[in-house]
Amino acid sequence: MIYSVDTVLSLALLSSLFALGSSRLPGLIKVVGFQGIVVSIVPIFIDHNVTSTAVTFYMFTMTIRGVVIPLCIYLLIKKIAIRREVQPIIGYNASLFAGLILIVAASIINKQLVLPATTSSVLLMPTAITILVTGMFILMVRRNAIAMVLGYLMMENGIYLVGTTFSMGTHHIVEFGILLDVLAGVMIMAIMLENMKQQFDDVDTAFLSELKE
Amino acid sequence: MVKILIILPFIVGMIAFFLPKKVGRKLLVIIGAIHLITSILLWINRPEMPFPDYFALTPEGLLSLLVISFLFFLISIYSAAYLEYEETISSLSNIHNQSLPIPEPSQIPHNEQIKSENIFIGSMLIFLSTMTMVTLSDHIMVMWIAIEATTIASAPLIYSHRTTASLEATWKYVIICSVGIAMALLGSIFIAIAMDVGKINVSVSFSALISVAKELDPIWLKTGFVFILVGYGTKMGLAPMHTWVPDAHSEAPSPASALLSGVLLNCAYLGIFKTNKIMHSAGLGEFSGNILIAFGLISIVAAATFILKQTEYKRLLAYSSIENMGIIAFGTGIGGMGAYGAILCLIHHSLIKSSLFLTSGNILLGYGTKFIKKTGCMVKFMPKSFTAFFAGFTGIAGFPPFGIFIGEFFIIMAAFRSGHFFEAAIFILMLCIIFAGFSTQMMKISFGPPSDNESSKVKTAHITSKIEKDAAMIFPQYILLITSIILCFWMPDSLYETVVSAVAFMGGM
Repeated sequence: MIYSVDTVLSLALLSSLFALGSSRLPGLIKVVGFQGIVVSIVPIFIDHNVTSTAVTFYMFTMTIRGVVIPLCIYLLIKKIAIRREVQPIIGYNASLFAGLILIVAASIINKQLVLPATTSSVLLMPTAITILVTGMFILMVRRNAIAMVLGYLMMENGIYLVGTTFSMGTHHIVEFGILLDVLAGVMIMAIMLENMKQQFDDVDTAFLSELKE
Repeated sequence: MVKILIILPFIVGMIAFFLPKKVGRKLLVIIGAIHLITSILLWINRPEMPFPDYFALTPEGLLSLLVISFLFFLISIYSAAYLEYEETISSLSNIHNQSLPIPEPSQIPHNEQIKSENIFIGSMLIFLSTMTMVTLSDHIMVMWIAIEATTIASAPLIYSHRTTASLEATWKYVIICSVGIAMALLGSIFIAIAMDVGKINVSVSFSALISVAKELDPIWLKTGFVFILVGYGTKMGLAPMHTWVPDAHSEAPSPASALLSGVLLNCAYLGIFKTNKIMHSAGLGEFSGNILIAFGLISIVAAATFILKQTEYKRLLAYSSIENMGIIAFGTGIGGMGAYGAILCLIHHSLIKSSLFLTSGNILLGYGTKFIKKTGCMVKFMPKSFTAFFAGFTGIAGFPPFGIFIGEFFIIMAAFRSGHFFEAAIFILMLCIIFAGFSTQMMKISFGPPSDNESSKVKTAHITSKIEKDAAMIFPQYILLITSIILCFWMPDSLYETVVSAVAFMGGM
């Protein structure tokens, strides 16, 4: 059976592959921003009784996830990054291949899961798992600190998608709190990045190796 | 009353960013005092909570709140004095650098100074507000929001010295904890899904979930627990996710390290503890217990390996925190009397370890170094700080008359009673190794020969003697240690009842 939400979700699924293949920061930011927008409109398709408060909230989420945060990071790059490569530890082709395997694995895992009866989508869980793990992957195998922040954002996008599976009810206030935390977290990371640039003249995390046993 | 506890420090913290530092220092102490008084009133009166869906007074929450308030008040008194000394020393060393054309790098005394003090004070207050929110939250997501907020509020504290090392420590802290806590968010969502799959419709709060725990879908619940344990375990400092702990604790200024170790780790533990309660009510206590035991033992073993070869005393204390968190997780996993012991360890670890970290601030100011080998003969140079440091060491190593001894004793008894002989054997062996490693280093600091670097010591000699005479730099540590001793011999009935009701879900006494 084909649900309308799956069309939207397939875009998010593809975006995670794009993210794995992006070699430059501006491209990666665009992918993450696009993913943020797609992920925030998914609940509109899932929710059965969409109220006006809910729509306002989804729009708000979309602005933060899709526009505000990516824009902040983009401005940050303009300000501090001289080198714009993501400095991969694992190459792009290998990353893409890992991403494909990941999608297959996520679909297999999805078959084992018992989801709430209200869920009306085939792709929701596989997409969520793929985005989440892709985010973690980028966090681990890119040495550029900005790419790491973007990986963290992808993880948060994935978790938000998982969160849409259970009945939304009236906890928008809670979702709002989570969103604020993510926003504040990214701001703190941005401040740290600026300082990193001042101290080392680069945002390569390989410089951070002073403290060890 | 509850609103004062959370909102007041937050607003004052925001204002403190823009205040001159002299005012900020006083404000810190005043807010600490107000917070302590309000917490005690809350303990006595136990009023109705606003927004009952999101906030609730639980025994374990109240306990943590009281510990946080008490510690923060004492630490705020210490911080006010500490900040002044750091300023004096740094201005001294600047003069020194100007008078000598080529100062040897090794001879420059420790002149790390907190760069923008208003940010430090403001973050301390916001940190207090977020930790209070953790202790009072009952909704599973609100708890997550509060714990993530503690990460954000404490990051500027670690970066106070603006050195490359502190930058690295902060970056690791923010990234590791944010990613770790993201796992806990996923776990919380899984528990909400467990509710949906089980077709129950209650609020997603811990108290409501405990009452319907039997109807939750067990597979989602188990997955959720594992994710929450990994997530909050990262923040709590359980191995193998502990790597941020030594870095952050050694680079943060000593009052901030005391707060991080004394109360932040407890806040993260609270999240695990409450989820474990749901598991016990759902009849999955054995599953969650075994995982907790495993993580606890791994942490203790990891701490034992690193303590033996430690070269910096603040890192040494940080590893000891990892050990204690391991002990607490182990005790919680054993359940019953072990859980009671774990809560005792939790309280006493907060008291003793924050006292130790505060004294480590005195050592850092006095000797101007973080390395153990450059200190020595502390008993002669700083006799009062030495008393606090050595007493703290005996306490944290598990000697009577301090509370950790009783806590560990209960945990070991419970482990034998429940037939965990092998685990208990590893536990005891590791405690012995840690004691051996810790005491060797402690002897070097306390009685070892003073380092040959005499010149820098002479310069700071008068500061050292001033620190020794300053009540604000000595008494907070003494009060913390004496509280720990008193609680050992005489526990107020209401405190005892609160601890017992907190562990009632895990098999009770």
